[in-house]
Amino acid sequence: MLSRTADNLYWLSRYVERADYLARILEAAQRLSAMPSAYVGISNEWESAVATAGCSNLFFELYDEANEKNVTEFLAFSTANTSSILNCFETARTNARAVRTALTVAMWDAINGVWLELQRYRNSPKSREDFARFLRWVQESSTLIDGSAYRTMLRSNAYWFSRLGGQIERADNTSRILDVKYHLLLPADEPVGGALDYFQWASILRSVNALTAYHWVYREHVKPWLVADLLILNDKMPRSLASCYGNLVQNLDEIAGAYGRQGPAQRQARAIRTRLQNSRMDGIFQRGLHEFIGEFIIENNRLGSAITQQFLL
Amino acid sequence: MKIRISHATIYHYDTPPSGVTQLLRKTPRNYDGQYVLNWRLDLSQDCLLHQHEDAFGNITHSFTAEGPFKELSVAVVGEVDTQDTHGVISGALERFPTGLYLRETPLTQADDAIINFAESARAANGKDRLKLLHYMLAALNAEMTFDTDPTHVATTAAEAFKLRRGVCQDLTHIFIAAARRLGIPARYISGHFYRVDGVTEQNAGHAWAEVHIDDLGWVGFDATNGICTTDAHVRVAIGLDYLGAAPVRGARFGGGGETLTVAVHVDQAGRQTQS
Repeated sequence: MLSRTADNLYWLSRYVERADYLARILEAAQRLSAMPSAYVGISNEWESAVATAGCSNLFFELYDEANEKNVTEFLAFSTANTSSILNCFETARTNARAVRTALTVAMWDAINGVWLELQRYRNSPKSREDFARFLRWVQESSTLIDGSAYRTMLRSNAYWFSRLGGQIERADNTSRILDVKYHLLLPADEPVGGALDYFQWASILRSVNALTAYHWVYREHVKPWLVADLLILNDKMPRSLASCYGNLVQNLDEIAGAYGRQGPAQRQARAIRTRLQNSRMDGIFQRGLHEFIGEFIIENNRLGSAITQQFLL
Repeated sequence: MKIRISHATIYHYDTPPSGVTQLLRKTPRNYDGQYVLNWRLDLSQDCLLHQHEDAFGNITHSFTAEGPFKELSVAVVGEVDTQDTHGVISGALERFPTGLYLRETPLTQADDAIINFAESARAANGKDRLKLLHYMLAALNAEMTFDTDPTHVATTAAEAFKLRRGVCQDLTHIFIAAARRLGIPARYISGHFYRVDGVTEQNAGHAWAEVHIDDLGWVGFDATNGICTTDAHVRVAIGLDYLGAAPVRGARFGGGGETLTVAVHVDQAGRQTQS
């Protein structure tokens, strides 16, 4: 397979996954901002949404204030932001078109259909209800694209490369979602473990559809270290870092098997997976969750560039 | 190196037992020097198999098989990708502070002979711990004769040292006893060893010691082969001594006339051996 084809497939999935993630953090911010202000006091959930998306610098170059209007426009519809939902789908579709023959008809139809429908949303939705509907649609669209690939693509290098992109992006996103809580400052008079703290953790779980799973696994009310355990170390949770790395290693092994060659990307992915398997939550919290996530994001990016170096150039 | 391992313990009973309970430590974990590609555990009897972790973080499986049956086999088969880290173990699961591994156990109690051995090694090497440990490794390897006959699973370090004979388990116990006596944390590792001499069929797993050196962390010392661990070693379980890291521990209800066969096959994956 040509590196260029692999590159397109890889980024196609990354962008679809990223669009899904942006929709989720916007939804979470919307939910948090719906709290009565008597509860919250001075709220900063929109600013934290931008910080979580990892594009604060660009945002504050373009806007003065992080409020609902600016942030939704920036993260969802801005053309100046290369990682807005609009641009993500746009780029995904461009990538897909370049490798049209490597995709199945079902997958192309899904991507192209999403892109066509996206044109209807170009003029930002007017009401909150409309916007909420748009966010649901984004998540459904990425599920559709993901599912059509899962159901129809031949299990060969095209499929594995597209999975790699999705999993790398998802690992990055999950860790960033966990980090929201670090950026969401609790008001000074609000106790840690209090009502607002609880609500914020629960909405993190809800934003990744993991609240029910949480209760099944832990059978306890929402506690920070258990939320982190679920989203970092529990390999039965499909979004967790452990699960993403299980899949990454498997896909890299498949690629290595097909070409009969191992490389640095595979070794790095295995090393990170080993570290996740040999970590315990109390150890992570002792060193600091924010620090752990910061390091993880760097490691994850390093793996991303190792994959690029090894396969995509 | 990609190493393929199969490790089966097969029990045969003249009088069938009414039940057998076992705790297995046959499943390796990953660390920076090894990655488990695939691993499967097969039992010949239908029963519930629970996976847990013991206090050291070893992966354990436990089961109770309801009898009567004349034969029970517990087999693991899998592939592990290993890298030579010159014996240094990093990225492994560490549950305890290193001081715990100074604790003596009945199997690793140092008697006067071992204390003498340790003290004379210290006298010959001064303060350099790494040099001291390598000296002990070489001395033990030279002094002890590998012999499967005179010792058994419950032989202590002192007994084996007196005989100057033993298997990997005994050499490891002696090495651990001596190291702990010198204030160096040491632990017992059970695992597998790929033999360069082409012998792939073995009738037991392998064992070696890991000792903690301040600047390096845990380092593997294989007294049986007189080397630090390499990419030929596959690390399965850790413990204070053999009993803590044993591949199989268990009890049997009723029955009798038990004979045990252990078949271990360690080979490089992708390489065909001619028989």
